[in-house]
Amino acid sequence: MTTGSKRAITPLALLAAASLLAGCGGDGGAGTNDVTVWMYPVIADPEVNSAYWAQIEKDFEKAHPGTTVTVEQQPWENRDEKLATAFGSGKGPDVVLLNPDQVPQYLASGAIGPVDKAVEGVKDKFLPNALTALTHDGKLYAVPIYHTVTTTLYNKKLLDRAGITEPPATWDEVKAAAPKLKKAGVATLDYSASNEATLNLNFYPLLWQAGGKVFSEDGKKAAFNGPEGVAALTFLTDLYKAGAVPRTALTNTNIFADHPMGKQQVAMGFSSTLADADLARKAWGAENVVVGKPLGDVKQVAFGVPGGLGLNADSRNTAGAEKFLAFMTEPARIQSLGKASGFLSPRTDVTVPSDAPYAKRFQEALPFAYPGEPSPVARQLMSLIAPEIQAALTGRKSPKEALDAAAARADDLLARQR
Amino acid sequence: MTAGTAGERTAPTPEPVPVPGPPLPADRPTRPARRREARAGLLFVAPMLLLFAVFRFGPTIGAAFLSLTDYRLSGDWRFIGAENYARLLQDDLFWSSLGVTALYTLFFVPLTVGLSLGTALLLHRAVWLRGFFRGVFFLPYVTSIVLAAVIWKWIYDVEDGLLNAALGVLSLGPVDFLGDERLVLPSIAATSAWKGFGYSMLILLAGLQSIPREVTEAAVIDGATGWRRLRWVTLPLLRPVLFFVLVIEAIGAFQVFDAMYVMTAGGPVRASYSLVYLLYDTGFKFFDFGYASALGLVLFLVVLVFSLIQRRLIGRDE
Repeated sequence: MTTGSKRAITPLALLAAASLLAGCGGDGGAGTNDVTVWMYPVIADPEVNSAYWAQIEKDFEKAHPGTTVTVEQQPWENRDEKLATAFGSGKGPDVVLLNPDQVPQYLASGAIGPVDKAVEGVKDKFLPNALTALTHDGKLYAVPIYHTVTTTLYNKKLLDRAGITEPPATWDEVKAAAPKLKKAGVATLDYSASNEATLNLNFYPLLWQAGGKVFSEDGKKAAFNGPEGVAALTFLTDLYKAGAVPRTALTNTNIFADHPMGKQQVAMGFSSTLADADLARKAWGAENVVVGKPLGDVKQVAFGVPGGLGLNADSRNTAGAEKFLAFMTEPARIQSLGKASGFLSPRTDVTVPSDAPYAKRFQEALPFAYPGEPSPVARQLMSLIAPEIQAALTGRKSPKEALDAAAARADDLLARQR
Repeated sequence: MTAGTAGERTAPTPEPVPVPGPPLPADRPTRPARRREARAGLLFVAPMLLLFAVFRFGPTIGAAFLSLTDYRLSGDWRFIGAENYARLLQDDLFWSSLGVTALYTLFFVPLTVGLSLGTALLLHRAVWLRGFFRGVFFLPYVTSIVLAAVIWKWIYDVEDGLLNAALGVLSLGPVDFLGDERLVLPSIAATSAWKGFGYSMLILLAGLQSIPREVTEAAVIDGATGWRRLRWVTLPLLRPVLFFVLVIEAIGAFQVFDAMYVMTAGGPVRASYSLVYLLYDTGFKFFDFGYASALGLVLFLVVLVFSLIQRRLIGRDE
C-alpha cells in the first residue's frame, strides 16, 4: 500500500478479478440479490420521474422474482464528482446512467465493466452511432436506453421584426442575419460561455460544424486549435463583438428560463432541446416557435448522445444487474421512457410514440447527432478551454492565441494521464 | 479559557502571594479541588475536542500526507515527496489564483469592516428601533450565500439588471459588472460584504458597548465632539476588537469560493478564479487529490500566518 508497486498491482488485480468474474459465467460474485441503480432526472418533472422509476422497480421485480432493484435518484449537478467519489470509496451503485464521454474515465479507473452480455442477440437493433460511442476496444460499456438530440430553435417573432423570412440555417446566413437583428434590437445567436457550461452544447458543435475535432486521431494530443477550431472561434468572436451574441454570454449557462432565449433577447439557439422547445411554446406562444435542422457550415451537426446503463466492475450482483440492463432495453421500456422523457429511441426497430408537438422535428435531427469524442479527460478539458474562449470573446487574445494556449494546457493534461 | 488552563497558568506559584494589582478571588480553591475542577473542565470540552480531532485535525493531517502523494481516483498512489509543491511553484494557475485571492481580500476586507463599523456606530447611537435594525442588518448573514449570489447576479445583469436600470436613468452605462475583468472582483466583494457584514457588526457593536461610558463622557467634558471623539477615543479603545474583525474577515476572504462559483464561474478569463476554486477544480474535476491537498496546505499556511498575527496583536493589547 505504501509503495509504488501498488500501481502495478491494481490493474493486475482488476484483470484477475475481471477474468474470475467472466469465468464464473454470470454468477458474478452472487453476494446479494439487490441491484442498486443510480438514475438522474431524465424525466424533467420530478413527480413523473419518481413515479416512472417506482413503476420500473415493480415491473422488473415481477418479471424477475428474487431480484430486488432500487433506483436511487441523483441530481445532474456535480454528477461526476459524486460518482467518482462513490466508485473511489467502493460504494458505487451496481448500475449507473452514463453518457459516452464519461465512459473512458471510469473505464480507465477500472470502475466499470463490459455489458455485452446484457444485449446479446439484439445488438444489431441499436443505432450504430449510439453503440460506437459507448464501445471501447471492441467491448460495450453501457447499453443505450435513450438518445438525445439538440437542434436549432428560432423565435419567429424576433426574426419577423428584423424582416428575416427564412430562419438562418448556415454560418453565412447567421452572419448575414446579425446586422438586421441588431437593428431590431436583439441578439442573433445564443451562446453560453460560462466556465461551468458544457462545451458539448456550445463550442464543440461549432468546432464539429467547421469540420474540426477536439482530439487528435490517437486521442493523445489536442486538435481543437487547428484551422477549423480557429474558424469556429472567429465566427463566434465576430458575432460577440458585433453584439450578435448576448452580452451576458460570459456568465450564462445553457438554461432557457431567465436567460436570453427565455427573455426573448436572442433570435436563435443552435443547441436547443425538446424541453427548450416546449418551454418556448409556453413563453413565446406556439406561433413563434420554429424548430429547424441542426446548424451547418462545412458539416451539419448537433450534439446528441445515447444515455446508457453502465455496470459496476465490482458489483456484487452482476447477473442481476445484467438482467436489469436487458430489461431496460426491451422495446416496451424504450417506448415508455422515451414518451415520459421526451428523448428518442436508441433502437432502429423502435420509435417512441409521441404527441409532443416538436417530437417529429427532433426525430429528423437525429441522423445529424454527434456524441463527441470519447476521452478520459473530456470533462476536465472543458474547464481548460472555457476560460480561453472567454479570453477570445473579451478580446484579450486572438482566437488562434486563445486556442493555442488551451491546447498547450490540454497536451499537458493528456501527458499527465496514466 | 477553561478551568484547566487557568490552573496550569498558576501552577508554578501555587501559594497566593500578596501582589499589587487585580484582587485575587476571595476563596481560591485548594489544590485537589483545582485538579477536580480541571478534570471536570476537560470532561466538558471533551466532546468538542473529540469532534475537532476527528473532523478537523485528522483530515488536516490526512491532507498533509496526501499532498506528498499522487493519489488519484483509482485509489492507487505513490509517495512523491515534494513533487506537488515543486509543480505548484511552476503552475501559473496557482499564482494567478493566489493573486486573485489576494486582490479580492484587498477589496473585501476594507469594504466589510467599513460597512460593519459604520452600521455598528449607527446602531450604538440609535435609541429608536435599535433591535429592529440590528436584526435587519444581520439578516443577510443568515441567508444562503448561493441565494444572495443569484440575486446579486440579477442585480448586476448587464442587459436588464437593477443597477444598470438605475444607471440608465442617469444616462450612464450599461456597465458589465461581472463581465469586465477589472470590475468583477469589486462586484463580488460587494456582494460578499453585503452578505457577511452583519457578523462583524455585532462583534463591533459589543466592543462599542463595552467601552466605559466615563471615558466618552470625559472626552465630552473636555470639549471633544463628533469626529474627534471617534478618532481619538472610541477607535483606539475599539482597536483589539477591530483587529479581531479584520483578521477574521481576511481569513474568510482567503477562502472565497461560493460567490465566484455561482456568479461568474471564475470568469471572465479566470479574473475571479480564486485559490479555493482552483483547489475545487483540481480535486473534484481533475481528481488530482494529491495536488489539491498541496494547494489546501498552502491555503492553510496563509490562514495560519494571519491567525498568528491576530494572536500577537490581540495578545499585546491584553
